[in-house]
Amino acid sequence: MLEIKNASKIYGDGAAKVTALDNVSLEVEKGGFVSIMGPSGSGKSTLLNIIGGLERLTSGEIILNGERIDNLTEDAFVAIRRGKIAYVFQQYHLLQSLTALENVLLPLVFYSANGKTEKAMELLKRVGLEKRVNHKPNELSGGEQQRVAIARALVTAPSLILADEPTGNMDKKTGEEIIRLFEELNRDGHTIIVVTHNPEVARITREVVSLQDGRIVSRTKNVGKG
Amino acid sequence: MKLNQIVLKDILRRKRRVLYAALGVVIGTMTVVGVLTIAYAGENRIYGQIEKYGANLTIIPDINSIDTKLGNLSLGTLTVGENYISEANLPKIRDIADGEIRKALDINDNLPIATIAPRLYVNAPVRGITVIISGVLPEDELAIKNWWQMSAGKYIAADNEAIVGAMTAQVLKLKVGDEIPLNGSTKLVIAGILDETGSSDDYQVVVPLITLQKAFGKEGLISSIDIRALCNACPVEIIATALNQNIPGIKAIAVKQIANSEMDLVTKVNRLMISLAGITLIIGVFGVVNTMMSSVHERTRDIGIMRAVGASRRQIMQVFMLEALVIGVIGGVLGYFTGTLLAYGIGPVIFEGVSIRALPQFIPLSLGIAVAVAAVATVYPAIHATRIKIAEAFRSL
Repeated sequence: MLEIKNASKIYGDGAAKVTALDNVSLEVEKGGFVSIMGPSGSGKSTLLNIIGGLERLTSGEIILNGERIDNLTEDAFVAIRRGKIAYVFQQYHLLQSLTALENVLLPLVFYSANGKTEKAMELLKRVGLEKRVNHKPNELSGGEQQRVAIARALVTAPSLILADEPTGNMDKKTGEEIIRLFEELNRDGHTIIVVTHNPEVARITREVVSLQDGRIVSRTKNVGKG
Repeated sequence: MKLNQIVLKDILRRKRRVLYAALGVVIGTMTVVGVLTIAYAGENRIYGQIEKYGANLTIIPDINSIDTKLGNLSLGTLTVGENYISEANLPKIRDIADGEIRKALDINDNLPIATIAPRLYVNAPVRGITVIISGVLPEDELAIKNWWQMSAGKYIAADNEAIVGAMTAQVLKLKVGDEIPLNGSTKLVIAGILDETGSSDDYQVVVPLITLQKAFGKEGLISSIDIRALCNACPVEIIATALNQNIPGIKAIAVKQIANSEMDLVTKVNRLMISLAGITLIIGVFGVVNTMMSSVHERTRDIGIMRAVGASRRQIMQVFMLEALVIGVIGGVLGYFTGTLLAYGIGPVIFEGVSIRALPQFIPLSLGIAVAVAAVATVYPAIHATRIKIAEAFRSL
């Protein structure tokens, strides 16, 4: 479903040249649940960004559902964000002027004239926020905001969910609730790639990919998960 | 939910910022509306004067030293008490005026045509305040000033009756039936009070000519003569020339000539004001560009969020253009009202004595200008917004 072939990402050139990704190859099956771990600067966020089209590869290929997406223009990639790839960020990134429900509807606003409120309500119920639908982000806790962000990611029924440190801003207990939610989503068939420092997150994924200096140093299948 | 709802919600959250952006639009629109309202009033006043006095001529003595006015049109100056026209000239003036009209309109009978209204001005105290007292032939005067209306009482019907202008009545606290002495001996009764005319008539006491001449020992003397020709097409300039050539010691002026030169002045002032308004408009555009630019910076993260969940660059452009539309409409409405207020405030300073009216026909113009200013000013910041990359938007925090 997702194939990364010989992906390299180099910032700057000459003496200031930094190789963030060095010839990385990886494939993720449909229904897969992969965590990417590694120390800061190992290239794990860069890897997630290039999959999600937020950054460009220097060389290599990314193939999603048999289609190359690394060479798409900025405008063509809009179609990928509308239903193929969705993001969940560490900082939640919700619009402050909109309620939880409106934030979940936001992706639909951009590619159909009208949002389907029932679907968004269903998803908010799915993430356990049915009582907070009309609250604005500043009236919600961090865990609640991340649930809204997850519901927003789900509203377009994406093939792939990319999560960048989704529990990074939370205390242990809230983080565990979010981890459990991701686990449930994967059980429901969602394909998820998550970048994390959190070993708790890594423990529940089917596969753990460890990066160091822009290279994959290990790939471990979790027993009983894959 | 639709895109415009998102924009509106965001605007409501950032009311102050949006109002600040609208301020640039308001300043530009206000100036344009204000200037156009004043310009319209200025020109309109002259048109009004031409309509009222266009068929008129005024004759004054050839030596002048104090201001006289017909309506709001300055008619040159005149020395009261020393320089007069002899009443003996009146038949000659009639002959020349009627003669020219007959020639121009091909009339063959000898009936009088033009209305000729001689007038004597005297400065004299009434109830301790010096006012201008005009001696007139009541019927001829009324024929010329056919717009005169009495707000109280009646018009002059006897030689011992007077009427007073609205302002004079107010300042001197005169009522119908009051008696005022004229130069000690003669007593006059106030027969009526004139409705406000907006002209110098408001400040006068009008009495029969013969009464005034007798009271001040000026029999046979007049200060000025107003002539109303039969029609607007009458050759007033030709009459004026003929009078000036044939009667020594007088100066005949066609009101049209004065109106035309005053109109030239008004047109020049209007052009100057409109170019100043144009400059203000451009300054307004830069103000809005500035505010919108900081609005884009402020919302870099929001733009990143929208892009991340599938907004196209065009939709980001739309977000800002919709905001510009709202700013334009707010600015246009406020600009119309503040512009009209501005006109009320400074209009009378620019064109002395002009009466400003709010002009609702400028509302669409005002909205149009405001929306155009907001839209033009938003294009560059909006394009800038569409170039923000998602990754950069989130990194900037």
